[in-house]
Amino acid sequence: MMWLILCLALAVASFFYVFYLPGRLFLGPEKTRAGYLRERKDAVYENLRDLNFEYKAGKVPDSDYTSLKSSLQDEAATILAEIARLENNSGPQKGTRS
Amino acid sequence: MSIRLHLFSKFRAPSHKVAHAILLCVAVFALLGAGDPGSRFSEIGHQMMCICGCKQILLECNHVGCPSSDGMRNELMAAVTRGDSDSLVEQGFVQKYGPTVLAAPTTRGFDRVAYILPFVALFLGFGIVIVIVRSWKNRPVPAIAGGLRPVRGTELEQFRDQAGKETDL
Amino acid sequence: MAEIGSFALLLALALSVYTFLAGIVALVFQKQTFVPATEPGSKTARRNQVADVGSGSSWAALLRRGSERIGETARRAGIATFAAVFLAAVVLVLCAFRDDFTIAYIFHHSNRDLPAPYKFATLWSGQEGSLLFWSLLLAAYGFVLRLRYKTDPRLFAYASVVLAGVQIFFLLLVNFAANPFGILEGALRPDGSGLNPLLQYPEMVIHPPMLYLGYVGFTVPFAFALGALIMKYPGEKWIHITRRWTMVTWAFLTCGVFLGAHWAYSVLGWGGYWGWDPVENASLMPWLTGTAFLHSVMMQEKRGMLKMWNMWLVFATFWLAILGTFLTRSGIISSVHAFAQSSIGSWFAWFLAISFVVFVFFFFKNKSHLASEHKLESLVSRESSFLFNNLLFVLLCFTVLWGTWFPKISELVQGNKVTVGGPFYNRVAIPVALLLLILTAVGPLLAWRKTSLESLKRNFLWPTVGAIAIAMFLMITPQRWGSPFGLRPWQDISYFYSLMAIGLSVLVTLTVASEFYRGGRVISKHTGQGMFASMVQLTHRNTRRYGGYIVHFGVVVVIIGFAGAAFNQDKEQEMANGDKLTIGSYTLICRSYTDDDAPNYASEWALLDVYKGGKQIDTMTPVRRFYKASQQTSTMPDIRSTLNEDLYLVFEGLNQDNGHPIIKAHLNPLVMWIWLGVWIILGGTVLALVPNAPAPVRVPAPARLEHVQTSPVATGD
Repeated sequence: MMWLILCLALAVASFFYVFYLPGRLFLGPEKTRAGYLRERKDAVYENLRDLNFEYKAGKVPDSDYTSLKSSLQDEAATILAEIARLENNSGPQKGTRS
Repeated sequence: MSIRLHLFSKFRAPSHKVAHAILLCVAVFALLGAGDPGSRFSEIGHQMMCICGCKQILLECNHVGCPSSDGMRNELMAAVTRGDSDSLVEQGFVQKYGPTVLAAPTTRGFDRVAYILPFVALFLGFGIVIVIVRSWKNRPVPAIAGGLRPVRGTELEQFRDQAGKETDL
Repeated sequence: MAEIGSFALLLALALSVYTFLAGIVALVFQKQTFVPATEPGSKTARRNQVADVGSGSSWAALLRRGSERIGETARRAGIATFAAVFLAAVVLVLCAFRDDFTIAYIFHHSNRDLPAPYKFATLWSGQEGSLLFWSLLLAAYGFVLRLRYKTDPRLFAYASVVLAGVQIFFLLLVNFAANPFGILEGALRPDGSGLNPLLQYPEMVIHPPMLYLGYVGFTVPFAFALGALIMKYPGEKWIHITRRWTMVTWAFLTCGVFLGAHWAYSVLGWGGYWGWDPVENASLMPWLTGTAFLHSVMMQEKRGMLKMWNMWLVFATFWLAILGTFLTRSGIISSVHAFAQSSIGSWFAWFLAISFVVFVFFFFKNKSHLASEHKLESLVSRESSFLFNNLLFVLLCFTVLWGTWFPKISELVQGNKVTVGGPFYNRVAIPVALLLLILTAVGPLLAWRKTSLESLKRNFLWPTVGAIAIAMFLMITPQRWGSPFGLRPWQDISYFYSLMAIGLSVLVTLTVASEFYRGGRVISKHTGQGMFASMVQLTHRNTRRYGGYIVHFGVVVVIIGFAGAAFNQDKEQEMANGDKLTIGSYTLICRSYTDDDAPNYASEWALLDVYKGGKQIDTMTPVRRFYKASQQTSTMPDIRSTLNEDLYLVFEGLNQDNGHPIIKAHLNPLVMWIWLGVWIILGGTVLALVPNAPAPVRVPAPARLEHVQTSPVATGD
């Protein structure tokens, strides 16, 4: 008998926990395009820093360094330009960076 | 957990031609070894399993009073002392105890596939990776993901500079 | 008590089914109002912090609000699942402690005199309990995941549904196929039949949890990957989110595999640590693909490449973890570890098939989302080294899988079974592993995108010279110096492999050291700090990369330990009082032998004095135990470990004629390096989990962008 009561209590408690939702829900910010672009920017920036670091550590020769850096900067510039365009259009807003 | 072999434990190199190049190279070293009956006993004994069900290598079966391993060891010792060749000893054991007495597949018949396939896969894999790497290198630059348009002129210069400055060491 | 456990399991099943179904419903309805962020049109779709109830006048808003609430109940049901499974596990453990032999599982895996820690370990020492334990760990991972949902609620909701799907399978198993709370039929027995003596060893209390944490843990990265694929997650941020999960899981699996090896070494008494048994192979396979994934996922994170491959790799890791369980519990492949065989094999087969179909369906449905974003600049680059790294890991995994299945294949093709034991793997896996070691040495020297051959040669020169010098030294030194000196590769193939392994390990160590040195020099130039301080700072600024290098170093220490096995010696002898046994530089003299009685077991043991160079250095006592409840015998080897070699003594038994003990002595060089290496690997992993320190040089934020991150120097890998 004891175990029956316990099981019942258990079922009621979990039912209550699952379905009783007072207050408002946290849904988090929707991932915006600007937020997505900032993530992309961070990745390209990381690659640029890596390249700089590997260059200074002597793994990349001058000629390769210049061309690789240039292509990464182009990619970064494209992303930065798009972010700037978005922010100009709709006013500055916070992204969803970690 | 009871097949008693280590990653690098001693084993006799294949005396038959094996299809893969790496082993051919290293086999040369191994063939220089074989010698006295003691070491032959140890080498062959490490290629056999104890058949009592303990799933251990014959010479590493460690339970006292094992119904099989003592007899098998004596047989092996007798064969080695008689001067039987490795393959003759193996054949004798396979006939008496069945093919599972050998600790690894033989290098004859279908058993060879066991050894060949991983190396075929290795060479095939290498080939595929090289082809992939080459095709990736030669493929046109993919469009920038996320539907971005390339920028030009002063805007490009300005943002390039910004990126350069922000990532400088 | 058992009724509460059974009920908790049923409740958990109901809750996880709800998590799964309600989660799907919520996501399907939410999806209709979602605009992917990768689309240029989706400018500012923001829900912000709270559900905007005020604007819920339209049908769509109402639908959305409803689905969000359903989603929240699904999340909560997932959390409650954990509570229910946890309760079931607690009940089972309590039953073990209360010696409740009315429960069949407790009767079969415990007895009254079993020490408390092993009673606790009853939870995972048999089929039904271990499946419950598996469910518990999965629920625990799910619990943490669902609590941390605020990181990215949508992605976590998808991952939660995938996880709930897997959870349902395991709960179905413990409810209907292998119930741990089943009642023992027939009259109540006074005592249980006891725990297998081989499992009565301290490590047995931690080895299975570690291994299971690893197995189960890979469900989490898989759930995230599949979730990201299904929702077409914009960008690669999900990898960043799951990075820590993957690393922690990998560390658990590594720990579990090596604890298993250590347990085999310390308990089974055959002097070795790895037997290529199907169960060991089953734990190695997901480890290999998981390690490959840890490497290749960096390509996706940094370059947006290999997306499809990574998806397959993480799926394979998850799938192989389940496959391993299937292999050993279905009785398809015979193993020493085999659990009591039952019908659960077919349950696993179905689950494997269904998960494969589901994955393949979504993979092909959303394949276009996984297009590569970059091209490869050069053949000599970190990228291509990762490709070869992946090839070799996957190939090793294939070899192990092939070897595990070959007896079955042989039976089908030529009608007879064959044994695939250590000699097979030695011939096939070692060459591949050595290639992988070469890659471990070269990889870190390559820069991302492009490396000039010139700089590669320059950076590779000194480590190579160093490695060759050390290999030569080992080759020409006299053999009487003991292992690993006097390694003549022409004498035995195992010596050849050993020399290669040690030489390549030195190469890896030197390249890792040179990476630290070169990086330290850059920082030192920049900050004016000393070399050591610079290297510490370097590590702190990019913990993943330098933690990873330390893991590599740990791996080579382990490899050196493996290489020592080429010099193993053993000797077996009957030892009456005063008898002598000489092995290597040790002399053992039997001082006495006797027997003993404890509540749980009776034991026989010998007391042996150990001499080296004419001086007594130790006394050792190998033991053989007879466990009363299970009526089984087990050996307890005595191991004297030094950095150089292990002296490993086994009490094999008594000579029936004269009652003298038979002692087997093993001399196993360098074994301690393996356990030391594992500690280094774990240390490196923990270091890689530490957040990066910010770089001291901060860039002022330009006017156009509000939040410019001041990221550390070279935060990638």
